[in-house]
Amino acid sequence: MCGQVGEERAGGIPMTCETESDSVRVLDEGDAVELLVYLVTAARTQLDEAAEYAPMRLLTAAGRLAEMAEPNASASLRPLLRDIRQGFSETAVPAGDPARYVERLDALCRAVAECLVRSLDLDRSP
Amino acid sequence: MNDTVLDAIRARRVVRAMTDVPVERDQIRTVLDSARYAPHAGNRRLHRYVVVTRASLLRAVRMVSPGMLQRPMAAIVVCVDWAKVHSYGFPPASPGPYIDVGAAAATMLLAAHSIGLGAGPVTSFSRTALATVLNLPAGMRPELIICLGHAATEQPPAMRRQGAPRWDDLIQWERGKVEG
Repeated sequence: MCGQVGEERAGGIPMTCETESDSVRVLDEGDAVELLVYLVTAARTQLDEAAEYAPMRLLTAAGRLAEMAEPNASASLRPLLRDIRQGFSETAVPAGDPARYVERLDALCRAVAECLVRSLDLDRSP
Repeated sequence: MNDTVLDAIRARRVVRAMTDVPVERDQIRTVLDSARYAPHAGNRRLHRYVVVTRASLLRAVRMVSPGMLQRPMAAIVVCVDWAKVHSYGFPPASPGPYIDVGAAAATMLLAAHSIGLGAGPVTSFSRTALATVLNLPAGMRPELIICLGHAATEQPPAMRRQGAPRWDDLIQWERGKVEG
């Protein structure tokens, strides 16, 4: 089970991820290009947009990446990908509920960091 | 009293999730045609409308448009012909052409709603990338995209902000109060 950040599922539960040696390819070239184009053009549009859109655009990119990766991802990673997709609606901005927005984003950061700890086997004694 | 127009204005919503049911060409024409009746400053016709229905082109348009949450089945890109704007002697920072883009967009959104289509405006896209993808002539700049499709049952929630002003607080009747 991954860390959970959805509205109704707040609270970090330890998750498991594939270790580095088990890693699989989760993205095809077409999806990678789509995301790449999104990120580059979002950098440009951000110069003309309200600053509050910045985290929203990044979370949209993260959500799209999670959606693209999920079908080929390992079973242990999928819950995290679902959390990333479902953690924020595509129209959520910090001003909706600033404290809650930060709290949920922190929960998501915690969840991805816990994924790293597992995938890189960081708990192993040196 | 005929409330049809007011009812349509009040019932229309920005559609941010669309099904994969195709949009008929006649429907697109109806929406396009409505823009003819939108107010244009000086009736100068400074705008051009690019219709996109090809799936691969729609995908590319969406890729360069971070603000496009929906996957539309058709899109109308409203462009400003800046060469023509300059030929009329508009100063570079003139807001006029942009105001006309907004008026055309509002009219097309209502037209789409009136024929049962879902529609949503998008302004967050790279002008340069979109002009390249659409192979627009020099001087033609895309300013707004109208996404067209059939509304999905489930829509993302509307944007909410804490402490948003009441509608009445946004309105001033007559001359403003003199301070002091």
